[in-house]
Amino acid sequence: MKVVGKSVRKVDGIPLATGQPVFTLDVDLPGAAVGKVLRSPYAHAEIVRIDTKKAEELPGVLCILHHGNVPRTPYTTAGQGWPEPSPYDTFLFDKKVRFVGDRVAAVAAISEEIADEALRLIEVEYRELPAVLDPEEATAPGAPVIHDEEDARGIHDPQRNIAAAIDIRVGDIERGFSESDVVVETTCEFPYVQHVPLEPHCVVAYLDEEDRLVIRSATQVPFHVRRIVARALGLPLSRIRVVKPRIGGGFGTKQEIILEDVAAALALRVRRPVVMKYTRAEEFTSARTRHPMKVRVKLGAKKDGRIHAIEMDVLSNTGAYGTHSLTVLSNVGSKTLPLYNKAPHLWFHGKAVYTNLPVAGAYRGYGATQGYFALEVAIDELAEKLGMDPLELRLKNHIRAGESSPIFEKIGEGREGKAQVVKSCALAECIREGAKRIGWYEKRGKHLWDGPWVHGVGMAVAMQGSGITDIDMAAATVVMNEDGTFRLLVGATDLGTGSDTILAQIAAETLGVPVEAISVYSSDTDFTPFDTGAYASSTTYVSGGAVLRAAREVKRRILEVGAAILGDPPEDLDLAESYVVSKKTGKRVPLSEVGHRAMYVTDQKHIIATASFVAPESPPPFAAFFAEVAVDTETGIVRVVRFVGVADCGTPINPALAEGQLEGAIVQGIGHTLYEEMLISSRGGVRNPSLFDYRIPTAADVPEIEAVLIPTDEPTGPYGAKSIGEIGINGPAPAIANAIYDAVGVRLYRIPFTPERVLRALRTRS
Amino acid sequence: MKVYFELNGEQKYVEIKPGERLLDLLRRLGMKSVKEGCRTGECGSCTVLLDGRPVRSCLTFAAKAKGHRITTLEGLGSPEDLHPLQEAFLETGAIQCGFCTPGMILVAYHLLSHNPDPTPEEVREAISGNLCRCTGYAKIVDAVLLAAERKRKGDWR
Amino acid sequence: MAIRRYHYARDVDEALSLLLAYEGRGALLAGGVDLARGPGTDVEGLIDITAAGLGGISRDAKKGLVIGATVTLEEIRTSREARDYLGGFLTEVMRHVATLPLRCMATLGGAVVSAHPWADIPTALIALGAEVAWRNEEREERAPLEELYRRPFRAIFRRAVLTEVRLPAWGGAFAFEKVSRNAGDIALLNCACGLGVKDGKVAWARVAVGATPYRAARLTGVEELLVGESPSAELLAEAGRKAAAEAKVGDDLRASAEWRRAVIPALVRRALERAAREVKGDA
Repeated sequence: MKVVGKSVRKVDGIPLATGQPVFTLDVDLPGAAVGKVLRSPYAHAEIVRIDTKKAEELPGVLCILHHGNVPRTPYTTAGQGWPEPSPYDTFLFDKKVRFVGDRVAAVAAISEEIADEALRLIEVEYRELPAVLDPEEATAPGAPVIHDEEDARGIHDPQRNIAAAIDIRVGDIERGFSESDVVVETTCEFPYVQHVPLEPHCVVAYLDEEDRLVIRSATQVPFHVRRIVARALGLPLSRIRVVKPRIGGGFGTKQEIILEDVAAALALRVRRPVVMKYTRAEEFTSARTRHPMKVRVKLGAKKDGRIHAIEMDVLSNTGAYGTHSLTVLSNVGSKTLPLYNKAPHLWFHGKAVYTNLPVAGAYRGYGATQGYFALEVAIDELAEKLGMDPLELRLKNHIRAGESSPIFEKIGEGREGKAQVVKSCALAECIREGAKRIGWYEKRGKHLWDGPWVHGVGMAVAMQGSGITDIDMAAATVVMNEDGTFRLLVGATDLGTGSDTILAQIAAETLGVPVEAISVYSSDTDFTPFDTGAYASSTTYVSGGAVLRAAREVKRRILEVGAAILGDPPEDLDLAESYVVSKKTGKRVPLSEVGHRAMYVTDQKHIIATASFVAPESPPPFAAFFAEVAVDTETGIVRVVRFVGVADCGTPINPALAEGQLEGAIVQGIGHTLYEEMLISSRGGVRNPSLFDYRIPTAADVPEIEAVLIPTDEPTGPYGAKSIGEIGINGPAPAIANAIYDAVGVRLYRIPFTPERVLRALRTRS
Repeated sequence: MKVYFELNGEQKYVEIKPGERLLDLLRRLGMKSVKEGCRTGECGSCTVLLDGRPVRSCLTFAAKAKGHRITTLEGLGSPEDLHPLQEAFLETGAIQCGFCTPGMILVAYHLLSHNPDPTPEEVREAISGNLCRCTGYAKIVDAVLLAAERKRKGDWR
Repeated sequence: MAIRRYHYARDVDEALSLLLAYEGRGALLAGGVDLARGPGTDVEGLIDITAAGLGGISRDAKKGLVIGATVTLEEIRTSREARDYLGGFLTEVMRHVATLPLRCMATLGGAVVSAHPWADIPTALIALGAEVAWRNEEREERAPLEELYRRPFRAIFRRAVLTEVRLPAWGGAFAFEKVSRNAGDIALLNCACGLGVKDGKVAWARVAVGATPYRAARLTGVEELLVGESPSAELLAEAGRKAAAEAKVGDDLRASAEWRRAVIPALVRRALERAAREVKGDA
């Protein structure tokens, strides 16, 4: 292959490297107003009275919106395919607030200062309601009902605050455990953690010359934004255009429609551009988080190490709204249990409950991360009880190419799944390669001391998916220019991941041109074809599949014209080095000649094709993670000395970008494992809503991450590719937990592993 | 109030508000490479050079620019004429979303102007005040080391 | 924020006159970091003292160090004077403080006046026995920092300009230890310890622990324990244990009193061990 498999430079790299104005807020629109949101100081309260008179009288205030003057339509902020598997439990503004930071009202004013002042002048009388601040208490009889509104839809059991529930059985779990020689049971807890993209949520909304609403937004899901804003505001979909410029990171938090609806409503009212952005504090209080979870895993195994029964029991806290509650919950099991597919007896059950706490949503890993923390710690414990090397235990039990798992069929995206046979899997090689690089056999169990520091090594394995089977659809349009270059129009959403680049590589490979001959435009609901968006590890596989099809169709049309020029039948022709070439005679004609002829000379037509691709299955990428840690036994500080992640993502279309995804995900994972946690006050507010107090990893905290790719050829993927975006975040928590155990012999079940928690565990043991 | 200062080699004489932040002034002047990520000095996306030293423009009063030299990423290179550091960032894959990139390149520029042969640890230390959430830093460190190597061979400005 | 005026003071006199004229609604700034992070809503006038002649680091006649109030932390870290003072102790302290761009902005005077309880610099300065000088309406005054912090110093600096920090010469060695969640974070605990050794016995000792989460305090009981004894491993460990008993500890967002009490012994012992090693290296 000429272009695929090469680490070409990012096609959007130069503007980014030179700081060109390519992000959402880098445009200045004349007369733009600033929008700001008034947020609830209470975890749970009814708005008894709202008086905006004083605020409206402030010069420069243009408009104030609240529950009394906007349409009331239930919707979900989850940017998912339609019909969304998330409950419709959200309103533009409601009479009730359900968490500290919930929307109360919004202001548009001619400046930020005036907008802030207006927020202070809005008088709101609240009647405080009893709040649910502990997910364990959410379902208790007599617990306050958070979603008592009658017009919400799709909530599993609103009276008991259960947003979603799942109960899946395979085989006979009781028999499974009774037939097991060894049983272990582990409960791991994942706290509130956040995505922290460097660019906060932001949007510019304005009416264009034809009075259509244009929403320029930092979003992962432009097409879902269009559909959901249309619903929330009661607008025809055709009146809305969503433009996604360059995005400053997303990781799932920009898969949520939490600002576009308000900005659009304000822009329609004031009829001038409205600019809105979250402050960093609002990112913490009022954006989205990973679902905090308690995951209990029970494993049963035979003496020889064959895993015989797995139970996984999940309590997920979705916060005040149920966005992604069912699907994240499903993924805790659906993305983990197939990994150990030899176990005939499975029981996966759990619920996602409402609380009056910050709202959880999609975050890289999407439930699998929480699931793997518990599962892979439990596997380590099982290995110890069996007296086996945990590496060998995993090698013995993990899924192989040609194998399946009943879970694929049992659990889908908020509904039943689809049977699937794994066609590519290099997990065994990943494990062996990682073990070699970390020095597994030299270091494991050696407790090497260095002053007060003790070293240890631990490992974990994981899989993910590549898109959502039978749901995720992407389309792409390939347009030939007469000079033999191409435009690639995709709805796929590059949010820094490099997807524009790898999609260009797929098109270039197919069309026999260098990547520079492809100019990519993503994404704009008026000008690019549909794509579900950047989530669920789908872009390379699903959007790449669409690009491949569109490019193949364009190639077919080019060859037809080439055949007319060269006088050879199309089946004898191919594309290479920007020429149509006869495989038989070697005769060739440049693409520019083909382009000019097709456009201007003979039998004129524009060579252009659009194709769609629906994920026929969701081939899992696999990875093995190895951590070497040092634990300061006198302070409890844990340092990651080395971290090796070895992944099988099929054929990496662009190895440097694929490694970058793995490295970045691993460091995010190290972040939640060691540092990150949103602390919640006794009144439900976030106590550390700043980067001063919520610490994410810096360059000085992490070692060089060794990200290694072991290519496989996934037959259903474009040029053999699978996904790589999410899987890396699943490894650090369990690998580091297991390494700490190897070093100092204490098991930690709750992240982050702060000096406080580590030292307490050490002292409790001794 | 009006202040004189030098912005990317050009003399500026502009009206500012006494409480205005340098970040807002620079963006108002079209320097959109200066990014707002937190406004509390933690993230580093708004880093610019003041007389060659990296500062947080979100915590710097615009009035402090008076009589000084401000460099933003726009002053280092352009799409037609990339700075060697920008080349190195592109070449190593050090850019994912690109939001932290302007600040990263400027602190790297400062580092290399004082230390042309840094160790990987020194690079990590120097850029540790600038957060990146995408890359895991590995390729950024590679980029700075590559640029340093080229600088030592004379490819610099 | 209702900032109406920004002044550039040319000298201390002008800075002081402006400050007094604002009657509490003015604020001095050099780096401006703390002011920009959380300005008092009553501040109307900013008085920039960067060009007021308070820069510069020099050695005094007795080999102590004199640092102007507007010298930035990064200037200190990279200065030859700091490298030459106590084997580069200050250079090491500055490396632990915040991150490079913030160190390029923040000044020593700002650190002294802000006096965040979690800050590293007060801990080091108190251990060093730093003396600070300031100018008020009547006169130039000076006081040991430790003593100043026992006075209502914030009220003092509403009507005075801090001018310099003087660090005495010490015939011995100091070491600084800090535990934080991650690089660039504030301390969960910090400590600075100094030792002088004569004829194999500790001649003097300075022990300060900060971020407990309260502002740094000297632990004189620990210092007394050390003086006159041979700096053996057992003694230094005992000093650490005593430090935990003597220090006042509490809870904050980042750590509990329990953890702090548990970690102080190791932290103080480590600092003392390093100081003791360095003293021996001198001899």
